[in-house]
Amino acid sequence: MSMSAADAAARSSQLSSPVGGGRRKPVAVRRRRLGETPAAWLLIIPVLILFSITVIYPLIETIRLSFFDIKGLGKPKFIGSGNYIKLFTDPAFRNTLWTTLMFTLGTTTITVSLGWFLAMLCSFAPQRTLPFRVMIFAAFGISEAVSGYMWISMLRPDQAGLLNSVIGLFSPGFAHPWLGDPNTALWMIIVAASWSGVGLPLMLCFAAVQAIPKTVLEAAYMDGAKPFAIMRFIMVPLSMPGVRVAIFINLLGALRAFDIIYVLTGGGPVRSTETVGYFMYRESMTQFKLGYGAAATVILLVAVMVISIPAIIQRTAGAK
Amino acid sequence: MIKFKGVLGRRALLSGIAAAAMLVMGGAAIAQDISGELAILQWQGGVDAEMWKKLEADFVAQHPGVTVRELAITAQGDARGGIRTAILGGEKVDIIINTWPAFRKELADAGILRGLDDQWSALGLDTTLTQSWRDLGVSDGVSYGVPYTYGDRSGIWYKTSQLKDAGVEVPKTWDEFLAAIKTLKAAGYDTPIPMPGKYWAHGEWFESLLLRTGGVEAAAKLAAHEIPWTDDVVKTTLRKYAELLNAGCCGTPEQMFAGDWDLSADQIFKANTGNFLLLGMWMNARAKGEYGLTEGVDYSLFQFPALGLGHDDTSSVDAKELLATSNGENPAAADAFLTYIVSPEATKILAEYGYASPSSNADTALLGPVQQQATAAVAASKVQFVLGDLLPGDLVDEYRVQLQKFLQDPSDANIDAVTAAIEAKAAESY
Repeated sequence: MSMSAADAAARSSQLSSPVGGGRRKPVAVRRRRLGETPAAWLLIIPVLILFSITVIYPLIETIRLSFFDIKGLGKPKFIGSGNYIKLFTDPAFRNTLWTTLMFTLGTTTITVSLGWFLAMLCSFAPQRTLPFRVMIFAAFGISEAVSGYMWISMLRPDQAGLLNSVIGLFSPGFAHPWLGDPNTALWMIIVAASWSGVGLPLMLCFAAVQAIPKTVLEAAYMDGAKPFAIMRFIMVPLSMPGVRVAIFINLLGALRAFDIIYVLTGGGPVRSTETVGYFMYRESMTQFKLGYGAAATVILLVAVMVISIPAIIQRTAGAK
Repeated sequence: MIKFKGVLGRRALLSGIAAAAMLVMGGAAIAQDISGELAILQWQGGVDAEMWKKLEADFVAQHPGVTVRELAITAQGDARGGIRTAILGGEKVDIIINTWPAFRKELADAGILRGLDDQWSALGLDTTLTQSWRDLGVSDGVSYGVPYTYGDRSGIWYKTSQLKDAGVEVPKTWDEFLAAIKTLKAAGYDTPIPMPGKYWAHGEWFESLLLRTGGVEAAAKLAAHEIPWTDDVVKTTLRKYAELLNAGCCGTPEQMFAGDWDLSADQIFKANTGNFLLLGMWMNARAKGEYGLTEGVDYSLFQFPALGLGHDDTSSVDAKELLATSNGENPAAADAFLTYIVSPEATKILAEYGYASPSSNADTALLGPVQQQATAAVAASKVQFVLGDLLPGDLVDEYRVQLQKFLQDPSDANIDAVTAAIEAKAAESY
């Protein structure tokens, strides 16, 4: 990680100390910072309050609920780790773990690889590809529920569906219930989710490529490197920070997926598209077993933390 | 002391006069004085939502001092989750529209509902609703629900021209029904029954078959888990269902899972690619409102075919009721609305939208021919409330998923597996 301008200035001021003061000891710096603490806290308090209300309190409440048996509007009954034990013996939940893994890997692979590939192509003509990048990124801004309804019409089971009618050009009368077939429903959801998700990796990877110093590319040209070699040895390695961020964001988004599944299949057919996020909704909102749903939420939270904490540590390792 | 007695006496006299006046004038006196906001929790969409707007507007026209606030819950499928969320979120309403007996009990157990036994007569409900309708809204011996509409859930909808063109008579027996499917397939309909298997509507066939196989007694016992799901009556019912599937009624399981009842209705009444739909009376409103069809001319319905197992006088029914809340801010307006919903004006609006009312104020002549037919069929039947609405929440979910598994493989071996899986869940749920 590069040193920030403020850090550099601070270090510079320590090294070139004023006359008579000698070299300022690090402990003095710490004392001065401690002295500034009340003002800093005063500035942070509004954010902390907001964060506590919107994140910390719901989190603690969810963890608390996960230890209770709550059915409908009935009174909660403390059952300790009962919900967690039941979760891991529930075949429906075990099935959601597998489905979530497939969905997460599928959407992340498609969105990031496609986004990266498009970023590479766009980087050769940044100005001329601007409208395409905007259009692709626009899909990222569309609500998943809205895009879900659009995909429902495209994946209609009869010949009026867009996908069926396109295939029907080559195979007249073709009609496949894409969302009704347990073998294809999850793949269709992955495609639909990837369609709207590809814009973000595209922008992140494109930004990473654009950040490559022109001097590096010019030097490569001067040394006689061919376009393929420039891509392989310069653009690909230097676009990896963007790819890593894209993977991280997509993994987190995919783990929490709900909207598009709710709209397209409702977790069916025969629970074949039920992810942990949807399971959590079904248990908490449809069956109103709030404790059981909260336990599933905590499991999902742990999964998100397992992925995000190492990534955050890695991304901020050099920061001061 | 004497003075005090005198004051008390005058107050008592005034109170007595007021009470006597209210008794003489009945519910109307209460209704005329009401004002303020009446909050109604409403979760129905489409044409039903439009009907509710009309009912509310008519009520406000009768009670100009009242404003109606509709707390609209939007839900796909079961709306109970949305209703619970609204209630737990602190929303206070005066009236809740309900169609699930199990949910009424849940609300009552949570202390959210106001029992109506003390006011039943004062509100004039004893003269507008018979005891059997009142009983339908009872939980744990307390009257909570005021039923305002009911529907036949054992009626099969069809488009008249399709059957006529294919030379099919309306089937009365199971064998005739299976023969009709064969004829319609020969006439070019690949899926005479576009089975809506995506969420819950595939259970309708099971429930009417169960009634015709084991009668209302068996269905009631199953709902209360007094007989297990592995009972022969359930297996026999599924074997009858399998006969239908094996006759090629419904296409592939993938086709069945692809859509809900609205897609099936589109396939029959719009795209002309299917023929039969077993569904509640809201189909009537959709046929008229969304397809522009004429009731009794373009479409009709017939009662579930007779199986000849001794229970052909049974029908599955649903009902919608109004529940008054204990925490509502305007109980007087809520009471007035309960009286209004069974009034001649309200039943007329319901009839316009194709809904039958259990009220004695309802003029059945206002109903369309199909609704009249369904109403007569229900009146002549032993009825049982829709099974899916009587089961506990987590069991009904498993029941529907297992029925999907049955649709995938209607073999005897899978019937054993499916019934065992539902029974395992039922053992946890009760």
